[in-house]
Amino acid sequence: MFFIPGSVIAALTFPGVIIHEAAHLFFCRMFKLQVFEVCFFRFGNPAGYVIHQQTEDFKAQFFVSMGPFFANTLLCVLFCTAAFLPVWELKVFDPLAYFFYWLGLSIGMHAFPSTTDLSHLWAHAPGLAKKGNLLAIVSLPLAAVLVVLNYARVIWADLGYGIAVGVLGPIAIFRALAK
Amino acid sequence: MSEGTCSQCGQTFPVRSLFDLNGATFCESCVQKASKEAKERGLPSLYMPLISKSICARCNTYIGSSSDAVQIANLRFCSACGPLIKDWDYPQWLKISLVAVLLLLVVALAHGRKYFHAGREMYVGERPVDEGRYAEALPHLQEALRIAPRSDKAALLAAKAALLSGDYGSASKALQGHDGGHFEDADKPEFREVESLWKRATGALAKAEQAAKLQNQDGKEIEAARLMHEAASAYPQFQYLSFVAEAYDEGVAFVHKDYDAFVAIAEKQWKERPLANTAAALASALACKYATTGDNSYRQRSEEMLQRSREMAKDNPEAMKSLDEFAERNRYRLESRKIISKQEYDRLFRSGKNASK
Repeated sequence: MFFIPGSVIAALTFPGVIIHEAAHLFFCRMFKLQVFEVCFFRFGNPAGYVIHQQTEDFKAQFFVSMGPFFANTLLCVLFCTAAFLPVWELKVFDPLAYFFYWLGLSIGMHAFPSTTDLSHLWAHAPGLAKKGNLLAIVSLPLAAVLVVLNYARVIWADLGYGIAVGVLGPIAIFRALAK
Repeated sequence: MSEGTCSQCGQTFPVRSLFDLNGATFCESCVQKASKEAKERGLPSLYMPLISKSICARCNTYIGSSSDAVQIANLRFCSACGPLIKDWDYPQWLKISLVAVLLLLVVALAHGRKYFHAGREMYVGERPVDEGRYAEALPHLQEALRIAPRSDKAALLAAKAALLSGDYGSASKALQGHDGGHFEDADKPEFREVESLWKRATGALAKAEQAAKLQNQDGKEIEAARLMHEAASAYPQFQYLSFVAEAYDEGVAFVHKDYDAFVAIAEKQWKERPLANTAAALASALACKYATTGDNSYRQRSEEMLQRSREMAKDNPEAMKSLDEFAERNRYRLESRKIISKQEYDRLFRSGKNASK
Protein backbone atom coordinates (compact mmCIF):
# COMPACT_ATOMS: atom_id res chain seq x y z
CA MET A 1 0.00 0.00 0.00
CA PHE A 2 1.39 3.41 -0.81
CA PHE A 3 0.49 6.90 0.35
CA ILE A 4 -0.59 9.69 -1.94
CA PRO A 5 -1.65 13.00 -0.36
CA GLY A 6 -5.42 13.46 -0.33
CA SER A 7 -5.13 16.81 -2.09
CA VAL A 8 -3.35 15.13 -5.02
CA ILE A 9 -6.04 12.48 -5.26
CA ALA A 10 -8.75 15.12 -5.02
CA ALA A 11 -7.07 17.17 -7.75
CA LEU A 12 -6.80 14.13 -10.02
CA THR A 13 -10.42 13.22 -9.45
CA PHE A 14 -11.94 16.68 -9.01
CA PRO A 15 -15.09 16.01 -11.10
CA GLY A 16 -16.17 13.47 -8.50
CA VAL A 17 -15.75 15.97 -5.64
CA ILE A 18 -17.82 18.61 -7.46
CA ILE A 19 -20.58 16.16 -8.34
CA HIS A 20 -20.65 14.84 -4.77
CA GLU A 21 -21.14 18.34 -3.33
CA ALA A 22 -23.58 19.31 -6.09
CA ALA A 23 -25.68 16.29 -5.16
CA HIS A 24 -25.66 17.35 -1.48
CA LEU A 25 -26.78 20.83 -2.52
CA PHE A 26 -29.44 19.42 -4.83
CA PHE A 27 -31.02 17.34 -2.08
CA CYS A 28 -30.76 20.16 0.47
CA ARG A 29 -32.69 22.40 -1.90
CA MET A 30 -35.12 19.61 -2.72
CA PHE A 31 -35.97 19.16 0.95
CA LYS A 32 -35.88 22.92 1.55
CA LEU A 33 -33.04 22.80 4.05
CA GLN A 34 -31.18 26.04 4.60
CA VAL A 35 -27.67 25.86 3.18
CA PHE A 36 -25.10 27.86 5.14
CA GLU A 37 -22.02 27.32 3.09
CA VAL A 38 -20.89 25.40 0.04
CA CYS A 39 -17.42 24.55 -1.21
CA PHE A 40 -17.41 22.53 -4.40
CA PHE A 41 -13.67 22.02 -4.50
CA ARG A 42 -10.57 23.08 -2.64
CA PHE A 43 -7.08 21.79 -1.95
CA GLY A 44 -7.70 20.70 1.60
CA ASN A 45 -9.45 18.20 3.78
CA PRO A 46 -12.28 17.79 3.08
CA ALA A 47 -11.91 18.64 -0.60
CA GLY A 48 -15.50 19.90 -0.66
CA TYR A 49 -18.38 20.38 1.74
CA VAL A 50 -21.95 21.63 2.13
CA ILE A 51 -22.93 22.99 5.55
CA HIS A 52 -26.65 22.87 5.91
CA GLN A 53 -29.46 23.06 8.41
CA GLN A 54 -30.06 19.94 10.49
CA THR A 55 -33.46 18.36 10.23
CA GLU A 56 -35.59 15.94 12.17
CA ASP A 57 -37.06 14.61 8.92
CA PHE A 58 -35.35 11.27 8.37
CA LYS A 59 -36.25 11.15 4.69
CA ALA A 60 -34.49 14.47 4.14
CA GLN A 61 -31.55 13.29 6.24
CA PHE A 62 -31.32 10.09 4.24
CA PHE A 63 -31.35 11.74 0.84
CA VAL A 64 -29.05 14.60 1.77
CA SER A 65 -26.54 12.12 3.22
CA MET A 66 -26.88 9.33 0.69
CA GLY A 67 -27.82 11.36 -2.40
CA PRO A 68 -24.21 11.81 -3.52
CA PHE A 69 -23.62 8.08 -3.11
CA PHE A 70 -26.44 7.26 -5.53
CA ALA A 71 -25.73 10.13 -7.94
CA ASN A 72 -21.98 9.43 -8.15
CA THR A 73 -22.54 5.70 -8.48
CA LEU A 74 -25.06 6.16 -11.28
CA LEU A 75 -22.84 8.57 -13.22
CA CYS A 76 -19.85 6.30 -12.69
CA VAL A 77 -21.76 3.34 -14.16
CA LEU A 78 -22.96 5.42 -17.12
CA PHE A 79 -19.57 6.88 -18.05
CA CYS A 80 -17.74 3.64 -17.46
CA THR A 81 -20.32 1.74 -19.48
CA ALA A 82 -19.63 4.03 -22.43
CA ALA A 83 -15.89 3.40 -22.10
CA PHE A 84 -15.71 -0.08 -20.59
CA LEU A 85 -15.68 -2.11 -23.80
CA PRO A 86 -12.85 -0.34 -25.64
CA VAL A 87 -10.75 -0.03 -22.47
CA TRP A 88 -11.20 -3.45 -20.84
CA GLU A 89 -12.68 -5.96 -23.23
CA LEU A 90 -11.85 -4.86 -26.76
CA LYS A 91 -8.41 -3.37 -26.08
CA VAL A 92 -8.96 -0.58 -28.56
CA PHE A 93 -6.70 2.40 -28.01
CA ASP A 94 -9.21 5.22 -28.06
CA PRO A 95 -8.14 8.35 -26.10
CA LEU A 96 -11.74 9.53 -25.81
CA ALA A 97 -12.74 6.24 -24.21
CA TYR A 98 -9.89 6.55 -21.70
CA PHE A 99 -11.02 10.09 -20.91
CA PHE A 100 -14.56 8.86 -20.22
CA TYR A 101 -13.22 6.06 -18.07
CA TRP A 102 -11.17 8.50 -16.02
CA LEU A 103 -14.24 10.69 -15.62
CA GLY A 104 -16.37 7.68 -14.57
CA LEU A 105 -13.81 6.44 -12.06
CA SER A 106 -13.24 9.94 -10.68
CA ILE A 107 -16.95 10.27 -10.03
CA GLY A 108 -17.25 6.75 -8.61
CA MET A 109 -14.32 7.29 -6.25
CA HIS A 110 -16.15 10.11 -4.50
CA ALA A 111 -19.43 8.26 -4.06
CA PHE A 112 -18.93 7.47 -0.37
CA PRO A 113 -20.74 9.81 2.01
CA SER A 114 -18.44 11.35 4.61
CA THR A 115 -18.40 10.03 8.17
CA THR A 116 -20.16 13.26 9.20
CA ASP A 117 -22.97 12.56 6.71
CA LEU A 118 -23.25 9.02 7.95
CA SER A 119 -23.15 9.96 11.63
CA HIS A 120 -26.43 11.89 11.22
CA LEU A 121 -28.07 8.87 9.69
CA TRP A 122 -26.51 6.52 12.19
CA ALA A 123 -27.85 8.58 15.10
CA HIS A 124 -31.47 8.42 14.00
CA ALA A 125 -31.81 5.25 11.92
CA PRO A 126 -31.84 2.63 14.74
CA GLY A 127 -34.70 4.27 16.64
CA LEU A 128 -36.78 4.79 13.52
CA ALA A 129 -36.01 1.30 12.26
CA LYS A 130 -37.48 -0.06 15.49
CA LYS A 131 -40.65 1.89 14.72
CA GLY A 132 -40.79 0.22 11.29
CA ASN A 133 -39.56 3.12 9.17
CA LEU A 134 -38.66 1.37 5.91
CA LEU A 135 -36.07 3.92 4.84
CA ALA A 136 -34.40 3.63 8.24
CA ILE A 137 -34.38 -0.17 7.96
CA VAL A 138 -32.79 0.05 4.51
CA SER A 139 -30.31 2.69 5.56
CA LEU A 140 -28.96 0.76 8.56
CA PRO A 141 -26.98 -1.94 6.73
CA LEU A 142 -26.08 0.48 3.95
CA ALA A 143 -24.74 3.04 6.40
CA ALA A 144 -22.90 0.31 8.32
CA VAL A 145 -21.12 -0.89 5.20
CA LEU A 146 -20.35 2.65 4.14
CA VAL A 147 -18.89 3.55 7.53
CA VAL A 148 -16.52 0.59 7.25
CA LEU A 149 -15.63 1.48 3.66
CA ASN A 150 -15.09 5.05 4.67
CA TYR A 151 -12.47 4.02 7.20
CA ALA A 152 -11.01 1.69 4.57
CA ARG A 153 -10.23 4.68 2.39
CA VAL A 154 -6.68 4.50 3.71
CA ILE A 155 -6.35 1.25 1.80
CA TRP A 156 -7.95 2.74 -1.32
CA ALA A 157 -11.46 1.40 -0.72
CA ASP A 158 -12.86 4.42 -2.56
CA LEU A 159 -10.79 3.66 -5.65
CA GLY A 160 -11.72 -0.01 -5.27
CA TYR A 161 -15.37 0.93 -5.17
CA GLY A 162 -15.01 3.13 -8.27
CA ILE A 163 -13.30 0.34 -10.19
CA ALA A 164 -15.78 -2.28 -9.00
CA VAL A 165 -18.73 -0.14 -10.06
CA GLY A 166 -16.99 0.89 -13.29
CA VAL A 167 -16.21 -2.70 -14.24
CA LEU A 168 -18.94 -4.84 -12.73
CA GLY A 169 -21.73 -2.38 -13.60
CA PRO A 170 -21.00 -2.39 -17.34
CA ILE A 171 -20.42 -6.17 -17.36
CA ALA A 172 -23.84 -6.68 -15.76
CA ILE A 173 -25.44 -4.29 -18.24
CA PHE A 174 -23.84 -5.88 -21.31
CA ARG A 175 -24.57 -9.41 -20.18
CA ALA A 176 -28.20 -8.46 -19.58
CA LEU A 177 -28.37 -6.82 -23.03
CA ALA A 178 -26.80 -9.85 -24.69
CA LYS A 179 -29.59 -12.12 -23.39
CA MET B 1 -37.75 25.62 34.38
CA SER B 2 -39.12 27.57 31.37
CA GLU B 3 -42.46 26.37 30.10
CA GLY B 4 -44.47 26.98 26.98
CA THR B 5 -47.96 26.21 25.67
CA CYS B 6 -48.86 24.03 22.73
CA SER B 7 -50.89 26.05 20.24
CA GLN B 8 -52.87 22.95 19.30
CA CYS B 9 -53.87 21.24 22.55
CA GLY B 10 -53.32 24.25 24.86
CA GLN B 11 -51.37 22.20 27.40
CA THR B 12 -48.21 23.49 29.06
CA PHE B 13 -44.89 21.68 28.61
CA PRO B 14 -41.20 22.33 29.38
CA VAL B 15 -39.67 24.40 26.52
CA ARG B 16 -37.15 21.65 25.72
CA SER B 17 -39.99 19.30 24.69
CA LEU B 18 -41.74 21.81 22.42
CA PHE B 19 -41.33 22.27 18.66
CA ASP B 20 -41.64 25.11 16.21
CA LEU B 21 -43.52 24.67 12.96
CA ASN B 22 -43.98 27.70 10.71
CA GLY B 23 -43.73 30.04 13.70
CA ALA B 24 -46.26 28.16 15.85
CA THR B 25 -45.39 26.12 18.97
CA PHE B 26 -46.47 22.49 19.28
CA CYS B 27 -45.98 19.68 21.76
CA GLU B 28 -44.36 16.45 20.56
CA SER B 29 -47.65 14.64 19.97
CA CYS B 30 -49.33 17.54 18.14
CA VAL B 31 -46.37 18.56 15.96
CA GLN B 32 -46.44 15.41 13.83
CA LYS B 33 -50.13 15.84 13.04
CA ALA B 34 -49.62 19.56 12.36
CA SER B 35 -46.66 18.77 10.09
CA LYS B 36 -48.75 16.27 8.14
CA GLU B 37 -51.58 18.78 7.74
CA ALA B 38 -49.13 21.51 6.67
CA LYS B 39 -47.74 19.18 4.05
CA GLU B 40 -51.23 18.41 2.73
CA ARG B 41 -51.94 22.14 2.47
CA GLY B 42 -48.64 22.70 0.58
CA LEU B 43 -47.02 24.58 3.48
CA PRO B 44 -43.52 23.88 4.83
CA SER B 45 -43.76 20.75 6.96
CA LEU B 46 -40.33 20.73 8.56
CA TYR B 47 -40.35 21.39 12.29
CA MET B 48 -37.55 21.93 14.74
CA PRO B 49 -37.06 21.88 18.54
CA LEU B 50 -38.21 25.21 19.98
CA ILE B 51 -35.02 25.36 21.99
CA SER B 52 -33.02 25.46 18.75
CA LYS B 53 -34.60 28.84 18.07
CA SER B 54 -32.62 30.28 20.94
CA ILE B 55 -29.27 29.33 19.39
CA CYS B 56 -27.81 30.47 16.08
CA ALA B 57 -28.55 27.83 13.44
CA ARG B 58 -25.11 28.37 11.90
CA CYS B 59 -22.64 28.86 14.78
CA ASN B 60 -24.75 27.60 17.76
CA THR B 61 -24.19 30.83 19.75
CA TYR B 62 -26.93 31.45 22.34
CA ILE B 63 -29.16 34.25 21.09
CA GLY B 64 -32.15 33.80 23.36
CA SER B 65 -34.69 36.44 22.47
CA SER B 66 -32.05 38.94 21.32
CA SER B 67 -33.45 41.63 19.08
CA ASP B 68 -30.26 41.50 16.94
CA ALA B 69 -31.07 37.96 15.87
CA VAL B 70 -31.97 37.50 12.21
CA GLN B 71 -34.85 35.24 11.18
CA ILE B 72 -34.49 33.58 7.78
CA ALA B 73 -37.28 31.18 6.86
CA ASN B 74 -37.85 29.27 10.12
CA LEU B 75 -34.28 29.62 11.34
CA ARG B 76 -32.69 32.23 13.61
CA PHE B 77 -29.14 33.43 13.30
CA CYS B 78 -26.91 35.59 15.43
CA SER B 79 -26.08 39.09 14.22
CA ALA B 80 -22.67 37.90 12.95
CA CYS B 81 -24.00 34.97 10.91
CA GLY B 82 -27.19 36.62 9.66
CA PRO B 83 -25.54 38.68 6.89
CA LEU B 84 -23.58 35.62 5.72
CA ILE B 85 -26.69 33.61 5.01
CA LYS B 86 -27.71 33.81 1.42
CA ASP B 87 -29.63 31.80 -1.07
CA TRP B 88 -27.19 29.10 -2.13
CA ASP B 89 -28.44 28.65 -5.65
CA TYR B 90 -26.47 26.55 -8.09
CA PRO B 91 -23.64 28.72 -9.40
CA GLN B 92 -23.60 29.46 -13.10
CA TRP B 93 -20.37 27.54 -13.68
CA LEU B 94 -21.89 24.49 -11.98
CA LYS B 95 -24.98 24.62 -14.16
CA ILE B 96 -22.78 24.89 -17.26
CA SER B 97 -20.56 22.06 -15.99
CA LEU B 98 -23.52 19.80 -15.30
CA VAL B 99 -24.90 20.47 -18.78
CA ALA B 100 -21.41 19.74 -20.13
CA VAL B 101 -21.31 16.48 -18.17
CA LEU B 102 -24.67 15.44 -19.61
CA LEU B 103 -23.51 16.38 -23.10
CA LEU B 104 -20.32 14.41 -22.52
CA LEU B 105 -22.44 11.47 -21.47
CA VAL B 106 -24.40 11.67 -24.72
CA VAL B 107 -21.13 11.96 -26.66
CA ALA B 108 -19.67 9.04 -24.69
CA LEU B 109 -22.66 6.84 -25.43
CA ALA B 110 -22.78 7.86 -29.09
CA HIS B 111 -19.03 7.40 -29.44
CA GLY B 112 -19.24 3.99 -27.84
CA ARG B 113 -21.94 2.75 -30.21
CA LYS B 114 -19.56 0.79 -32.43
CA TYR B 115 -17.98 -0.71 -29.34
CA PHE B 116 -21.40 -1.64 -27.97
CA HIS B 117 -22.02 -3.48 -31.22
CA ALA B 118 -18.69 -5.30 -30.99
CA GLY B 119 -19.21 -6.02 -27.30
CA ARG B 120 -22.71 -7.29 -27.86
CA GLU B 121 -21.49 -9.60 -30.63
CA MET B 122 -18.77 -10.85 -28.31
CA TYR B 123 -21.17 -11.55 -25.43
CA VAL B 124 -23.73 -13.08 -27.81
CA GLY B 125 -20.97 -15.31 -29.20
CA GLU B 126 -19.61 -16.21 -25.77
CA ARG B 127 -22.69 -18.11 -24.69
CA PRO B 128 -22.83 -20.64 -27.55
CA VAL B 129 -19.11 -21.22 -27.03
CA ASP B 130 -19.83 -22.06 -23.38
CA GLU B 131 -22.64 -24.33 -24.52
CA GLY B 132 -20.51 -26.07 -27.16
CA ARG B 133 -22.32 -24.57 -30.18
CA TYR B 134 -19.11 -23.39 -31.79
CA ALA B 135 -20.20 -22.94 -35.41
CA GLU B 136 -23.11 -20.77 -34.24
CA ALA B 137 -20.78 -18.59 -32.15
CA LEU B 138 -18.14 -18.01 -34.81
CA PRO B 139 -19.88 -15.34 -36.99
CA HIS B 140 -20.63 -13.22 -33.88
CA LEU B 141 -17.07 -13.42 -32.64
CA GLN B 142 -15.67 -12.65 -36.10
CA GLU B 143 -17.86 -9.53 -36.21
CA ALA B 144 -16.48 -8.48 -32.79
CA LEU B 145 -12.95 -9.04 -34.06
CA ARG B 146 -13.62 -6.96 -37.16
CA ILE B 147 -14.02 -3.91 -34.90
CA ALA B 148 -11.57 -4.92 -32.19
CA PRO B 149 -8.93 -7.30 -33.59
CA ARG B 150 -6.68 -6.77 -30.54
CA SER B 151 -9.24 -7.94 -28.01
CA ASP B 152 -7.73 -10.91 -26.17
CA LYS B 153 -11.11 -12.20 -25.19
CA ALA B 154 -12.70 -11.94 -28.64
CA ALA B 155 -9.63 -13.41 -30.37
CA LEU B 156 -9.38 -16.35 -27.98
CA LEU B 157 -13.10 -17.05 -28.11
CA ALA B 158 -13.12 -16.82 -31.92
CA ALA B 159 -10.06 -19.06 -32.20
CA LYS B 160 -11.61 -21.59 -29.84
CA ALA B 161 -14.94 -21.56 -31.67
CA ALA B 162 -13.17 -21.87 -35.03
CA LEU B 163 -10.85 -24.69 -33.93
CA LEU B 164 -13.66 -26.66 -32.31
CA SER B 165 -15.89 -26.26 -35.32
CA GLY B 166 -13.11 -27.46 -37.60
CA ASP B 167 -12.47 -24.09 -39.20
CA TYR B 168 -8.70 -23.97 -38.94
CA GLY B 169 -8.40 -21.04 -41.36
CA SER B 170 -10.64 -18.77 -39.28
CA ALA B 171 -8.77 -19.73 -36.11
CA SER B 172 -5.49 -18.83 -37.76
CA LYS B 173 -6.92 -15.50 -38.94
CA ALA B 174 -8.25 -14.67 -35.45
CA LEU B 175 -4.94 -15.43 -33.77
CA GLN B 176 -2.64 -13.89 -36.37
CA GLY B 177 -4.83 -10.77 -36.51
CA HIS B 178 -4.18 -10.30 -32.78
CA ASP B 179 -0.69 -8.76 -32.73
CA GLY B 180 0.64 -11.59 -34.87
CA GLY B 181 -0.48 -14.13 -32.29
CA HIS B 182 0.96 -12.31 -29.26
CA PHE B 183 -1.17 -12.21 -26.10
CA GLU B 184 -0.54 -10.18 -22.95
CA ASP B 185 -1.11 -12.94 -20.44
CA ALA B 186 0.08 -16.35 -21.52
CA ASP B 187 -0.90 -17.85 -18.15
CA LYS B 188 -4.59 -17.21 -18.57
CA PRO B 189 -6.55 -20.49 -18.68
CA GLU B 190 -8.40 -19.25 -21.79
CA PHE B 191 -5.08 -18.73 -23.56
CA ARG B 192 -3.73 -22.08 -22.47
CA GLU B 193 -6.85 -23.86 -23.69
CA VAL B 194 -6.63 -22.25 -27.13
CA GLU B 195 -2.90 -22.85 -27.30
CA SER B 196 -3.44 -26.54 -26.58
CA LEU B 197 -6.19 -26.77 -29.22
CA TRP B 198 -4.04 -24.89 -31.71
CA LYS B 199 -1.05 -27.18 -31.15
CA ARG B 200 -3.24 -30.24 -31.57
CA ALA B 201 -4.76 -28.85 -34.78
CA THR B 202 -1.44 -27.77 -36.31
CA GLY B 203 0.09 -31.15 -35.36
CA ALA B 204 -2.78 -32.94 -37.06
CA LEU B 205 -2.46 -30.79 -40.18
CA ALA B 206 1.29 -31.38 -40.33
CA LYS B 207 0.60 -35.10 -40.17
CA ALA B 208 -2.05 -34.76 -42.87
CA GLU B 209 0.42 -32.91 -45.08
CA GLN B 210 2.97 -35.68 -44.57
CA ALA B 211 0.29 -38.24 -45.45
CA ALA B 212 -0.56 -36.33 -48.63
CA LYS B 213 3.09 -36.47 -49.70
CA LEU B 214 3.25 -40.22 -49.04
CA GLN B 215 0.01 -40.80 -50.95
CA ASN B 216 1.73 -39.63 -54.12
CA GLN B 217 4.55 -42.14 -53.71
CA ASP B 218 4.27 -45.66 -55.07
CA GLY B 219 3.70 -48.28 -52.39
CA LYS B 220 3.18 -45.80 -49.58
CA GLU B 221 -0.64 -45.84 -49.67
CA ILE B 222 -1.01 -47.84 -46.46
CA GLU B 223 1.32 -45.58 -44.47
CA ALA B 224 -0.37 -42.52 -45.94
CA ALA B 225 -3.81 -43.80 -44.87
CA ARG B 226 -2.52 -44.60 -41.38
CA LEU B 227 -1.06 -41.15 -40.96
CA MET B 228 -4.21 -39.48 -42.29
CA HIS B 229 -6.35 -41.48 -39.84
CA GLU B 230 -4.04 -40.38 -37.02
CA ALA B 231 -4.44 -36.78 -38.14
CA ALA B 232 -8.22 -37.18 -38.28
CA SER B 233 -8.30 -38.68 -34.76
CA ALA B 234 -6.09 -35.91 -33.39
CA TYR B 235 -8.38 -33.24 -34.80
CA PRO B 236 -11.83 -34.85 -35.13
CA GLN B 237 -13.58 -31.46 -35.37
CA PHE B 238 -11.95 -30.88 -38.76
CA GLN B 239 -14.24 -33.38 -40.47
CA TYR B 240 -12.55 -32.99 -43.83
CA LEU B 241 -9.56 -34.93 -42.44
CA SER B 242 -11.81 -37.93 -41.71
CA PHE B 243 -13.19 -37.64 -45.21
CA VAL B 244 -9.70 -37.57 -46.72
CA ALA B 245 -8.61 -40.45 -44.48
CA GLU B 246 -11.50 -42.49 -45.82
CA ALA B 247 -10.50 -41.51 -49.36
CA TYR B 248 -7.00 -42.81 -48.57
CA ASP B 249 -8.61 -46.10 -47.56
CA GLU B 250 -9.62 -46.41 -51.22
CA GLY B 251 -5.87 -46.50 -52.00
CA VAL B 252 -5.38 -49.22 -49.36
CA ALA B 253 -8.24 -51.26 -50.88
CA PHE B 254 -6.64 -50.79 -54.31
CA VAL B 255 -3.27 -52.05 -53.05
CA HIS B 256 -4.99 -55.08 -51.49
CA LYS B 257 -6.92 -55.64 -54.73
CA ASP B 258 -10.12 -55.47 -52.67
CA TYR B 259 -12.16 -53.79 -55.40
CA ASP B 260 -15.50 -54.40 -53.67
CA ALA B 261 -14.25 -52.34 -50.72
CA PHE B 262 -12.86 -49.77 -53.17
CA VAL B 263 -16.29 -49.39 -54.81
CA ALA B 264 -18.11 -49.32 -51.47
CA ILE B 265 -15.92 -46.53 -50.08
CA ALA B 266 -16.03 -44.55 -53.33
CA GLU B 267 -19.85 -44.85 -53.48
CA LYS B 268 -20.13 -43.64 -49.88
CA GLN B 269 -17.82 -40.69 -50.50
CA TRP B 270 -19.70 -39.73 -53.66
CA LYS B 271 -23.00 -39.78 -51.75
CA GLU B 272 -21.55 -37.71 -48.93
CA ARG B 273 -19.85 -35.15 -51.14
CA PRO B 274 -20.86 -35.21 -54.79
CA LEU B 275 -17.73 -33.51 -56.17
CA ALA B 276 -15.59 -33.91 -59.29
CA ASN B 277 -12.89 -35.82 -57.38
CA THR B 278 -15.30 -38.21 -55.64
CA ALA B 279 -16.99 -38.87 -59.00
CA ALA B 280 -13.56 -39.63 -60.53
CA ALA B 281 -12.67 -41.95 -57.62
CA LEU B 282 -15.92 -43.85 -58.13
CA ALA B 283 -15.23 -44.05 -61.90
CA SER B 284 -11.80 -45.54 -61.04
CA ALA B 285 -13.28 -48.10 -58.61
CA LEU B 286 -15.98 -49.14 -61.11
CA ALA B 287 -13.34 -49.52 -63.83
CA CYS B 288 -11.44 -51.89 -61.52
CA LYS B 289 -14.60 -53.93 -60.99
CA TYR B 290 -15.16 -54.08 -64.75
CA ALA B 291 -11.57 -55.17 -65.29
CA THR B 292 -11.98 -58.06 -62.85
CA THR B 293 -15.56 -59.11 -63.70
CA GLY B 294 -16.09 -58.07 -67.32
CA ASP B 295 -19.57 -56.87 -66.30
CA ASN B 296 -20.44 -54.13 -68.78
CA SER B 297 -22.72 -52.33 -66.32
CA TYR B 298 -19.59 -51.40 -64.30
CA ARG B 299 -17.89 -50.05 -67.43
CA GLN B 300 -20.97 -48.06 -68.40
CA ARG B 301 -21.26 -46.51 -64.92
CA SER B 302 -17.54 -45.80 -64.79
CA GLU B 303 -17.81 -43.83 -68.03
CA GLU B 304 -20.91 -42.02 -66.73
CA MET B 305 -19.16 -41.03 -63.52
CA LEU B 306 -16.13 -39.79 -65.43
CA GLN B 307 -18.43 -37.67 -67.59
CA ARG B 308 -20.12 -36.25 -64.48
CA SER B 309 -16.77 -35.52 -62.99
CA ARG B 310 -15.82 -33.54 -66.12
CA GLU B 311 -19.06 -31.58 -65.98
CA MET B 312 -18.47 -30.69 -62.35
CA ALA B 313 -14.88 -29.63 -62.92
CA LYS B 314 -15.39 -27.69 -66.14
CA ASP B 315 -14.87 -24.30 -64.47
CA ASN B 316 -11.71 -25.41 -62.71
CA PRO B 317 -8.73 -25.64 -65.13
CA GLU B 318 -6.51 -27.31 -62.52
CA ALA B 319 -9.08 -30.03 -61.84
CA MET B 320 -9.71 -30.46 -65.59
CA LYS B 321 -5.99 -31.03 -66.19
CA SER B 322 -5.92 -33.68 -63.48
CA LEU B 323 -9.06 -35.31 -64.90
CA ASP B 324 -7.58 -35.46 -68.41
CA GLU B 325 -4.63 -37.35 -67.01
CA PHE B 326 -6.90 -39.72 -65.08
CA ALA B 327 -9.30 -40.21 -68.05
CA GLU B 328 -6.41 -41.55 -70.12
CA ARG B 329 -5.53 -44.17 -67.49
CA ASN B 330 -9.16 -45.07 -66.89
CA ARG B 331 -9.68 -45.61 -70.61
CA TYR B 332 -6.66 -47.93 -70.65
CA ARG B 333 -8.09 -49.85 -67.68
CA LEU B 334 -11.49 -50.25 -69.35
CA GLU B 335 -10.08 -51.23 -72.75
CA SER B 336 -7.29 -53.51 -71.56
CA ARG B 337 -8.99 -54.77 -68.38
CA LYS B 338 -5.55 -54.45 -66.75
CA ILE B 339 -5.27 -52.76 -63.35
CA ILE B 340 -2.01 -50.93 -62.90
CA SER B 341 -1.03 -48.06 -60.62
CA LYS B 342 -0.46 -44.55 -61.87
CA GLN B 343 3.27 -44.86 -61.33
CA GLU B 344 3.37 -48.02 -63.40
CA TYR B 345 1.26 -46.44 -66.10
CA ASP B 346 3.60 -43.45 -66.15
CA ARG B 347 6.59 -45.75 -66.43
CA LEU B 348 5.05 -47.75 -69.27
CA PHE B 349 3.45 -45.01 -71.31
CA ARG B 350 4.72 -41.64 -70.15
CA SER B 351 8.42 -42.19 -69.69
CA GLY B 352 10.33 -39.08 -70.64
CA LYS B 353 7.23 -36.94 -70.06
CA ASN B 354 6.47 -34.92 -66.98
CA ALA B 355 3.67 -36.94 -65.57
CA SER B 356 1.00 -34.90 -63.94
CA LYS B 357 -0.56 -36.11 -60.77
